[in-house]
Amino acid sequence: MVVTDSSDSGTILRVRGPLEFRCQLDSTDALLMHKVISRTFATLHSQVKSESCVLTVCESPVIIWPNKGVYVTPEEITPNTLCEDIHQWIQTDEQESAGKRSSKKKSKKSSAASVINLSLMMEATKTGPLSAPILRRTLQKSHFLSTTLPMDCVVRITCSDTIKDAFECLMEALTHQLLPDSQLETHRKELHQQFELQGDWPYFRRANAFHFPNELYKDGYLRNPHMVLTHPTLDNGKVYLVQGIYSYHHYMQDHVDDNGWGCAYRSLQTICSWFQQQGYVERAVPTHREIQKALVDVGDKQGSFVGSRQWIGSIEVQAVLNQLLEVTSKIMFVSQGSELASKGRELANHFLTEGTPIMIGGGVLAHTILGVAWSETTGQIRYLILDPHYTGAENLQVITDKGWCGWKGPDFWDQTAYYNLCLPQRPKVI
Amino acid sequence: MGRSYIVEDAVEGYLSELCEQRAGSVTGLLLGQSSPQRDFVVTATRTPPTEETLAGNSVDKEWVTEHARQVSRMLPGGLSVLGVFIITDTEAKDTLTTLRQLVFAVENLISSETLWSPAEDDVTDCVALHVNRKTRKTFCRTFDVKDPKSTAKPADWKYQSGVCSSWGMVSCCLLVDMLVPLPDKRTDPEYMDKCLKEELRGWAQQVESGVCLIDGKKLAEDAEFPGGQKRNVRQTYTAQILITPREQRLAEVERRCGGSVSLTGAVHSRAYLHSNKPKARLAEKLLKRDAVSTVATRVQMLLEELLTSEEENKSSGKHKREHCLPHRVFCPLKASRPLCVCDYQFSDESVCEVTERLKEMLDIDADEGDLDTRQESPAENTEREIAAEPTMETVVAPEPKRNTFIGVAMATAVALLASAASMLYLYDV
Repeated sequence: MVVTDSSDSGTILRVRGPLEFRCQLDSTDALLMHKVISRTFATLHSQVKSESCVLTVCESPVIIWPNKGVYVTPEEITPNTLCEDIHQWIQTDEQESAGKRSSKKKSKKSSAASVINLSLMMEATKTGPLSAPILRRTLQKSHFLSTTLPMDCVVRITCSDTIKDAFECLMEALTHQLLPDSQLETHRKELHQQFELQGDWPYFRRANAFHFPNELYKDGYLRNPHMVLTHPTLDNGKVYLVQGIYSYHHYMQDHVDDNGWGCAYRSLQTICSWFQQQGYVERAVPTHREIQKALVDVGDKQGSFVGSRQWIGSIEVQAVLNQLLEVTSKIMFVSQGSELASKGRELANHFLTEGTPIMIGGGVLAHTILGVAWSETTGQIRYLILDPHYTGAENLQVITDKGWCGWKGPDFWDQTAYYNLCLPQRPKVI
Repeated sequence: MGRSYIVEDAVEGYLSELCEQRAGSVTGLLLGQSSPQRDFVVTATRTPPTEETLAGNSVDKEWVTEHARQVSRMLPGGLSVLGVFIITDTEAKDTLTTLRQLVFAVENLISSETLWSPAEDDVTDCVALHVNRKTRKTFCRTFDVKDPKSTAKPADWKYQSGVCSSWGMVSCCLLVDMLVPLPDKRTDPEYMDKCLKEELRGWAQQVESGVCLIDGKKLAEDAEFPGGQKRNVRQTYTAQILITPREQRLAEVERRCGGSVSLTGAVHSRAYLHSNKPKARLAEKLLKRDAVSTVATRVQMLLEELLTSEEENKSSGKHKREHCLPHRVFCPLKASRPLCVCDYQFSDESVCEVTERLKEMLDIDADEGDLDTRQESPAENTEREIAAEPTMETVVAPEPKRNTFIGVAMATAVALLASAASMLYLYDV
């Protein structure tokens, strides 16, 4: 839930901490298991809302009790202090080695919002006297569930927010993490209004978590390799790009040797990754087999198709997107490659309203179109292509230098072959 | 340079009394607090007499050690068994071996029961005091118990009045909330002991690494504890402890169990600090250690009771059993105010049993009125409440609103529950 606005370098409050989830299930009845698990979640929810919940600012002596009227220690800080003042209490490396590192820090600050890291803790003490402990033993063959819920929550604060405001906001966000996604829909609607966002983009779904710059993508795929490219400047031209995040899928990944036949599958995987990363679906990117099975399921192919090395085209891509992701797509047909040069308006419109990657198949090749640079007046056009035929490692430098992800001219297409384009439509939900 | 022991005047009087009272050798324990510069002995207690020791001259090493173990359970934070004394008619050199054996045995037994890890700045010297009955002369030596080959080093033994009069005290009321699964095939008290101990060890680490606030503030590591520099001014401080819940390995998300044990309630924990410019981190260390040991001691005491009690041996059809842990009672050391020792009172015991134990173990004559029972309230047996809890049989109607915290997978086997719970937080996008 972080809208990074490059013009406003605000501060982000981030709280992280584990919550212990432990419960005993003494029945295999789904309803009763539900009850116990719900109750355990409710307990955690009330823990986070209790006066024992404490937030400590990392690398500083500042400690905040957000549910106790936002009580703060040390005494110099009050709930009405500006939240940004917390920065002054945080001990950084620069404080010890003056001068040497300060210049480096200044140049970094302008590019990203600064983050105040907080740890979620519980106060284990209370004012007594309280009653001595009781030991309860239950003998019942059952299942014991124990896990840790990694709480991770972020709010963005402005320079006029007091600690009281900021932390009340943060606690609301934190307690909402203990509620299911579906229950949050009304909350998301409110947020959409608050931020004046377009009504049909799922900005606030869980999967759209802000990617902190110092975290790595654990699955090993490159994300948005096109972002490092310099986009072409055409006379009176504009650049229209895919909106959001996708991962680059290409030959030989996942230990699948699909060299020579899998290009459309890979383009389809790239498209699926877009839907997953924007939070439209929770389903993982399908494998070649899963794609083939989907086509058999819809009756498009015979059973023997699964496990084969047969090519697929835009129609199949459309069918799979519909079957596995419930995403509809438009098909655009050009009878010869040279016609593509005149499709600037349609492609530009697609990236403006849908913003999804396009799969294009024709001749013997399939590619993914991630954007167009198009001039309405001159008709000049360039296509941002993501090529699934790459067989190397996830090396951003190589991929962009050698043009596996790059801007191509109209002569990139086979001028005489016919092409089908699959334009996935974005579901209009939040 | 040997160690320096500053000893409360009253201890001299006590040792004199012991010299006069009995023939033969008398052993006992010296109790107090160590610090890097010097050690403070605040009180002493003789080994409770048994039939054998009264009869002859022999020293019952096992009983001395066992006595030490029980006494150390009765000492709040900041007070510990510093060493052993022996009163005999013989020369000091004759008792050296015995004293050495006793000191090591006592230290080994006590440290084997502690759940916390020793710290770098812990003092590891223990005192061995020989008192000559006829001359009343004392010979004080120390042994480094960390080194099994250590030899006796001479130390200073000095009496002073009002040694503890300006000592500070920090205390807190610590909540305990644990739920431990019992393995499928073994739900007997012995195994319960094992499971609980493991859980307590983990909890001890949590407490150890928790943030400690004294009077609402997080003090810097090297800051001085705001203690009493002026004599005869009592200083008491309240602490708060903040802990981070434990991280758990995903591999153990779901397991079969034969039952569970839960421990809920609160304990009063306190630690005393010498007045010789103590550091804040010493206060924190001593308080945390007391918190951990008071819980561990009580659990141990309860389990010892269960193992020996006859009720337990009968095969009870009861699925749920509840036991109240004893609550903590404090007794002031008259000659060493404001310090207190403590004992634990089970709900079925009377206060006079506490005073009897104080007499036997610590040789303290206390009246019921002297005892401080206000720090903790006895645990309330809520068995009737357990019966009222909705059990499997009473749930008839389905819930009107399905609260699916974990998606659709809930309806099927337990195995899916576990994986679904971890999928809820999609951080590996």
